[in-house]
Amino acid sequence: MVKFGIEFVPREPQWRITYYVIQAERGGFTNLWVTDHFNNRNVYVTLTTAAIYTNKITFGPGVTNPYLVNPVFTAQAVATLNELAPGRVVLGIGAGDKTTLDCVGVEWKKPLTAVQESVEIFRKMTSGESVVYDGEVFKIAGAKFLFKPKGKIPVYVGAQGPKMLALAGKIGDGVLINACHPKDVEYAVNCVKEGVSEAGKNFGDVDVAAYTSFSVDEDLKKATKAAVPVVSFIVAGSPSQVLERHAIDVKKAEEIREALKANEWGRAFGAVTREMIEAFSVCGTPDTCVERIAQLVKSGVSQFVTGSPIGANVREAISLICNKIIPNFKA
Amino acid sequence: MDYGKLVEAVAVEKWGVLSDKLVDLILTSKNDDKMSSQLANSILNHWQKDSLATQAGLTALLEAAVQLEPEKTVAALTELQLTNIAEQLKGALVKA
Repeated sequence: MVKFGIEFVPREPQWRITYYVIQAERGGFTNLWVTDHFNNRNVYVTLTTAAIYTNKITFGPGVTNPYLVNPVFTAQAVATLNELAPGRVVLGIGAGDKTTLDCVGVEWKKPLTAVQESVEIFRKMTSGESVVYDGEVFKIAGAKFLFKPKGKIPVYVGAQGPKMLALAGKIGDGVLINACHPKDVEYAVNCVKEGVSEAGKNFGDVDVAAYTSFSVDEDLKKATKAAVPVVSFIVAGSPSQVLERHAIDVKKAEEIREALKANEWGRAFGAVTREMIEAFSVCGTPDTCVERIAQLVKSGVSQFVTGSPIGANVREAISLICNKIIPNFKA
Repeated sequence: MDYGKLVEAVAVEKWGVLSDKLVDLILTSKNDDKMSSQLANSILNHWQKDSLATQAGLTALLEAAVQLEPEKTVAALTELQLTNIAEQLKGALVKA
């Protein structure tokens, strides 16, 4: 049975996110992911509030990165959360994005190594070990918690490119695939499988999540309107080979990129086409979303994450997902 | 303003629809910085217990809705034919 996750961006105030989280848990979502960006509210404070107001949903940062937060501190935060909600906490970690790191003057170096090392350090720290680590990116002279962490915390690795996807399959208890289109997800799942088999694990033991940009509404126009801004940013950030794979005009994408840079939102959003929305989001009425999710599940996805914007009206969208989408995927 | 008193005047059969309307106003408001943390916690506590459509829950919702969207709250009450409460609220808002 496929699990349903929901992503929130703590640009929204905590009380609003917490309201939606309670609603989502009650309606059948099993996983909560909160993004971690320095320019939004803090991910762990947001997750703590969510932990207090819920009792079933599994949650974690989705995703943090090892450049802005040292993995020892990530381990400390996540282990503390796991004391608050034992067995409900996971770590989502990825390489971060260059644009964000550039803003704070942090060099984005050796992303594969940084992720691999940080996962190792996280696991050692959260198992209560005294950690001495001499890696290529991280050097730890001797670190140990003065409290005893509780239990094993699953690690999900966020990935998009083939090497990171394979690494995620190899070292992760779960993988967060940053893709929406069945073509992309199928390709990504195959990369994950390579890593899984390299590690001698069973594919079924790894929770493979499609972490999508999602927008649902009974009115297709409203769903589309909500998806357009998110899709415009995804298009602007996509390399040309990804655009070409979806037969998207590279010149159009460049036009969007330039408009966003110039803060000309109307021009940027106006240039988003139906093809772009198809390629970079799961968007539509509940029925069309069900069809699309079913395609992704066929590719081997075991968790479907409804990411930003979720819908034109988030409360209504959560209600639609819980009442008209999730029931279609119950065993 | 005594929001509890205002809510007392709402017929029980309208509690559900009123709470739904007020929640929608609060969640879609752009004035989220006007929400006090005390009220936010109260609303979340009621939501967690599924008790927003009770007298205590509605009192918190109404106060929050007025803080965030005073005019829209009056309009919502009028739309639900809670004219008397809408008028009282309108009068208090004018005085304030």
